[in-house]
Amino acid sequence: MIQNVWVIPALPLAAFLINGLFGRRWLHRWTGIIASAAVGLSALLAIGVFFEVQGGGHESTTVTLYEWIGVGDFHVSVAALVDPLSSVMLLVVTVVSFLIFVYSNAYMEHDHGFYRFFTWLSLFVFAMLILVMADNYLLMFVGWEGVGLCSYLLIGFWFERPEPYVAAKKAFVMNRIGDWGYTIGMITTFLVFGSMQFTEVFEHVDIATEANLTLICLAFFLGATGKSAQLPLHSWLPDAMEGPTPVSALIHAATMVTAGVYLVARSMPLFEAAGPSLAVVGAVGAVTAIFAATIALVQFDIKRVMAYSTVSQLGYMFLALGVGAPVAAIFHLATHAFFKALLFLGSGSVIHGLGGEQDMRKMGGLRRKLPVTYWTMLLAGGALAALPPLAGFWSKDEIVAAAFLGGYPVLWAIGILTAVLTAFYVTRAMWLTFHGEPRDHHLYDHAHESPAVMTLPLIALAVGTAVLGIAIGFPPEAGFIHRFLGPVFEHEGAAEHAVEAATILTLAAVSVAAGVLGILVGLSMYVRHRPDPAAVSRAAGPFYRLLVNKYFVDELYDRRIVDALRAAFGAMWAFDIHIIDGLANRLGWLAAVGGSGLRRAQTGIVGNYALTIVAGLLVILVAYGGYAAGIFTR
Amino acid sequence: MAVPLGAFIAVSAVLFFIGTAGVLVRRNAVVILMSVELMLNATNLALVAFSRRFASIDERGSVFVVFIFVVAAAEVAVGLAIILSAYRNRPTVDVDEIRQMKG
Amino acid sequence: MDIFGAAFFALLTIGTIGAGVGVVLANRITTSALLMAFTFLNVAGMFVLLGAETVAMFQVLIYVGAITVLILYGVMFTPQSPRPYGLFFQTQKYWAALFVVPIAIFVAVVAFEFRDSAAAGGSGGDLVPLATSIFGDFAFPFEVASVLLLAAMVGAIVLVKRDEE
Repeated sequence: MIQNVWVIPALPLAAFLINGLFGRRWLHRWTGIIASAAVGLSALLAIGVFFEVQGGGHESTTVTLYEWIGVGDFHVSVAALVDPLSSVMLLVVTVVSFLIFVYSNAYMEHDHGFYRFFTWLSLFVFAMLILVMADNYLLMFVGWEGVGLCSYLLIGFWFERPEPYVAAKKAFVMNRIGDWGYTIGMITTFLVFGSMQFTEVFEHVDIATEANLTLICLAFFLGATGKSAQLPLHSWLPDAMEGPTPVSALIHAATMVTAGVYLVARSMPLFEAAGPSLAVVGAVGAVTAIFAATIALVQFDIKRVMAYSTVSQLGYMFLALGVGAPVAAIFHLATHAFFKALLFLGSGSVIHGLGGEQDMRKMGGLRRKLPVTYWTMLLAGGALAALPPLAGFWSKDEIVAAAFLGGYPVLWAIGILTAVLTAFYVTRAMWLTFHGEPRDHHLYDHAHESPAVMTLPLIALAVGTAVLGIAIGFPPEAGFIHRFLGPVFEHEGAAEHAVEAATILTLAAVSVAAGVLGILVGLSMYVRHRPDPAAVSRAAGPFYRLLVNKYFVDELYDRRIVDALRAAFGAMWAFDIHIIDGLANRLGWLAAVGGSGLRRAQTGIVGNYALTIVAGLLVILVAYGGYAAGIFTR
Repeated sequence: MAVPLGAFIAVSAVLFFIGTAGVLVRRNAVVILMSVELMLNATNLALVAFSRRFASIDERGSVFVVFIFVVAAAEVAVGLAIILSAYRNRPTVDVDEIRQMKG
Repeated sequence: MDIFGAAFFALLTIGTIGAGVGVVLANRITTSALLMAFTFLNVAGMFVLLGAETVAMFQVLIYVGAITVLILYGVMFTPQSPRPYGLFFQTQKYWAALFVVPIAIFVAVVAFEFRDSAAAGGSGGDLVPLATSIFGDFAFPFEVASVLLLAAMVGAIVLVKRDEE
């Protein structure tokens, strides 16, 4: 199975080509089925690969397809690195993608861009698989760029309206800034190590100076920041909610945004040797986590709440990487993929059931009308709030515990505080949507549960959310996933700290308490109105406004950066028009003037022409005579 | 004493020079044509002189002269045809006045 | 005797050059035409002096005979109104002088180069070599020349045709 690992991305690629070429005219609804089947088969193959890696002693294998570039010293192959880390990523990507594809068949049913949706989505899965399978930075970059492109195409899917198009542009541009960082990291890696292949680079980490390594790592981290929406390149993600909900679920929750986490996790040997880089990673992650959580507290669009939640949870993952717990980060990546996808798909189900409404202020009491959606989302919300025994608890708890045990009390405190906020906003969102009295009776009356094609994936994801944590993460630090991924990150120098059970239990208890606290406060405020949310908002006044406007980050960027750039572009445009075009115009003018000047030689008088001939004859005679007389030498 | 070759060449050159002057200086197109004939004659003279001096077996210079006769005759015929047809447009053969090709 | 040859040559030279100058400077156009014919005759004489009698014969036939007649026809069909002598010359005469004078100098130099060379005029007539060459080596150009004449004739007729037909 491992030797055929290249079939896994080949199937979505084939689906992309078939749907793209034939979807519009001939395949119509079948595009969805073809795409879903392709990804489904890939998922089965990924499961096979996973078991083979696990059974084979967690070895890492390289499966080379062909040598792509061979120029002088620069050699890059199209090859896949199949090890525990990539097999986990393959599994997560394909399984979650498959469920979302199935869901989309019903969600996008009435859209006239149906075939186009599945075309881009298949291309996306292909690119993402390339990203996680690559064995070198350059091939990974191909996938990296590919997912960025598909993100742009899918955010702007409903391009007839201006907002999606603008959001897509914004996402792409911010991603690009990150890509610039990735490129610098990639090129520096080659310059320092002479190769871009993971195994070659990681084996020779010691030949690089710490300064070089720090540069490489920070550059790569910039790329990760752009792709995974961390501060300061986070603001594209909430705007990306303009895209269809399955897109938000797949790309902006479960897969593309996790690429940054994967990049750092994969490059851990570099980061560990590069002094302060990990500290930067952890700090950025932690600050982003709490920053985004505060904004999620006051948003009214259900998808935006989820978007900021994603940013926050990604911050947790980077926090985990920063404190030296990459296994925890990947673990959280996996669990988050499930429950966040579920939350998004559930939101989509609600939106679909309400005929397109996304504002929670118009919802209420929907649990009676959408029961399946309600119960699955409740499960996912609990996972997000890190309630045991749901999946989110195990992974998040491990992260904060690692922070504490690694000697970063401040980061631990931020993590705990964010957990409280997370639990609060989840409760708020659930309550406003599903409980209480319906605030818009017209919407309520027409609300309906989604068809089975949509609810079955919800249920599947819910099952995952429920059991995944226990299945692979229990007991803490010693569960399946630790044994599976441990060898990937283990090497000399990693401190093994023996931890007593008591410490772990205490930390776990604190985490749980934090979550419960958040839920209780939420319930108190929204069920009993003690204190009343509206009153709190009024009392918080300016602080509240700050949060609702997302700390005015977008406005800041717009004014400082975008306007400055516009001025610079204006100057460049003027330069182009006046100087460059001016040069071309002057040359043309010169030609015209020269022409009309030379035109005066055309007198029309034949005698003049004869005279010119004679003058030429004179020149020839002079030349010949001079040559013959030795005056001109050859 | 026999006439040296240089003398013939000198005559040919002077005649050629006179013909050129005529082409450049006279206004009447027919006279210009006559001057061209003078130039042709000058070259013929030079060719025959050289041919007779240096190669008497095959007389290639003279052969060339024969062909020049042919071409000169053809040229005069066509040239006069052109002059006549230009004369039909405006009754002038003054080359300074025929300026339609200006610009 | 050779003195006669030299004298004959001097005579011919005066005739040629003088008539040539006359062609360019003459008052009336018919004078120019007749002086041109005279030039041709003198050149034919020079051919004879060189021993190229056949060429001389051709010269007389073609130049003095056909071409002179053609020119006279041309003169006849293009009457010009009488004008002062100054207007016989183009406006560019001064520029022309500027270019032509250096050529004249060059001509003089070239002529001077050949002053010591041996006598011109080879032995024997030129009919046999000429005929051998034309009908032997140069038979094809000869045929082509006849085609050229045909084309010139047709072209001249076409050019002169009036449109009313």
